[in-house]
Amino acid sequence: MNHNPQSSDGKHDDDSALSDFLASLMDYAPTIPDELVEHYLAKSGFQCPDVRLIRLVAVATQKFVAEVASDALQHCKARQAAVVKDKREKQQKDKRLILTMDDLQSHCASIFIGVWK
Amino acid sequence: MNNGCLENRKKEHDNSQKRPKSYKFGSRSDDFALAIAKVAVAQLCESVGFQGFHLSALETLSDISVRYIYSIGKTANLSANLAGRVEGNVFDIIHGLEDLGSNLGFSGASDVDRCVVSSGVVKDITHFVGVSDFIPFAYDVPGFPVVKESTKTGSFWEKGEDPPGEHIPSWLPAFPDPETYATRLSVENETMGVSNGKKTESELERVERNMDRSLLNLQLRFAHNENKGGSSHGSGYVATESNPYLAAPLHVGEKEVSSVILPTKLSNEVALRNPVHVDVGNHVSVLETFAPAIEAMKSGLCDSDNVKKKLLYDQRPTVRFKIGIGKKSLGTMSDLNSQNEEDLLKIASWFGNDNEKDDKKR
Repeated sequence: MNHNPQSSDGKHDDDSALSDFLASLMDYAPTIPDELVEHYLAKSGFQCPDVRLIRLVAVATQKFVAEVASDALQHCKARQAAVVKDKREKQQKDKRLILTMDDLQSHCASIFIGVWK
Repeated sequence: MNNGCLENRKKEHDNSQKRPKSYKFGSRSDDFALAIAKVAVAQLCESVGFQGFHLSALETLSDISVRYIYSIGKTANLSANLAGRVEGNVFDIIHGLEDLGSNLGFSGASDVDRCVVSSGVVKDITHFVGVSDFIPFAYDVPGFPVVKESTKTGSFWEKGEDPPGEHIPSWLPAFPDPETYATRLSVENETMGVSNGKKTESELERVERNMDRSLLNLQLRFAHNENKGGSSHGSGYVATESNPYLAAPLHVGEKEVSSVILPTKLSNEVALRNPVHVDVGNHVSVLETFAPAIEAMKSGLCDSDNVKKKLLYDQRPTVRFKIGIGKKSLGTMSDLNSQNEEDLLKIASWFGNDNEKDDKKR
């Protein structure tokens, strides 16, 4: 095994970055509450007394949901733009962006999550 | 449920209500957690830019997020167990995240010598935390599920009692004190004879009595075993005597049973009629056929008269029922003797009403 001083410093940096990140998570309260995450982690059998790990999972889930929602929003906007091009009368009606099963389904299929109505 | 400016469209509300029973995250016990997840997901959607959502879409997305958490936990638990640990650590979670993110991919996924610490997943999350706004959860969530404290009944060993019998280990829960049920049983015996028809005791007390009865039997049996060593059945007999369900069955005639009260029409006819006379003919009245049986009922259950017995079991006249539908049927019965006329008129009155009803129906 080669022990380069640079790589070891890099590893230390990564370690410190991770530990700093976990420490910063205590200040940042994710939208998904800790109790909910704890409940489902306990349901899956994952035991951990460390609160930081629970926060990490909560943040990861928040990121995932935000990604799905933003992609669904893109779909919704694209659909509305197509409708507006065809019929300008309905422009006022469809101003509001609404999360629908169609948008959700199309995005979930792209990330290999099966969704049925 | 309103979340700020978000409005619900209950277009597919009915469809969302129908859940299969084998739904893993849709069981009744999970409703509270799912509701919290819905609120959180709604808040996230609002932050992304949505102004409204379909209820079905919200439920689907919250279900997906819940399953995401569950799968992270499962993968992390698996990697911890593989490493021989019971409790998970940060590396297990990063492994779980990498597994879930492998569909879309993350930076550094193809590196062979990559370190978990410098995983691309963690970097993505760090970037996300730096970019996203701070959105706290809307409600205060209490710790759930609430663990119910079980009332532990002390064992024999804890109470310092000797278990009644060598076959009973001392770590088993102790029997309840005899005082809790012995006095109740004496009171119950008094009330049993008095209030048969009265519903003075509530259902709960009845259940308690049954439980106490069984406990007393158990206690008496053990007391008997202690004293005599199981040779005689003295105490057991006492137990059975006190317990009405274990008493010997009654023979016929031992206990007086109230006689059957006949309806007034039938009872009048039986009083007038001669029970022995049986007229066998083409048209036999219903009362004639059943008169012996009615007489038997009237006299009582104990049949000392053999003649009546014979009537009951030996004579079986041929019965030919001819229930007249119209008024013509009355005319055919006119040739019978006068004794039958009163019966026939009464029977005809019964059927006459029916005929009128039939006519009305037509």
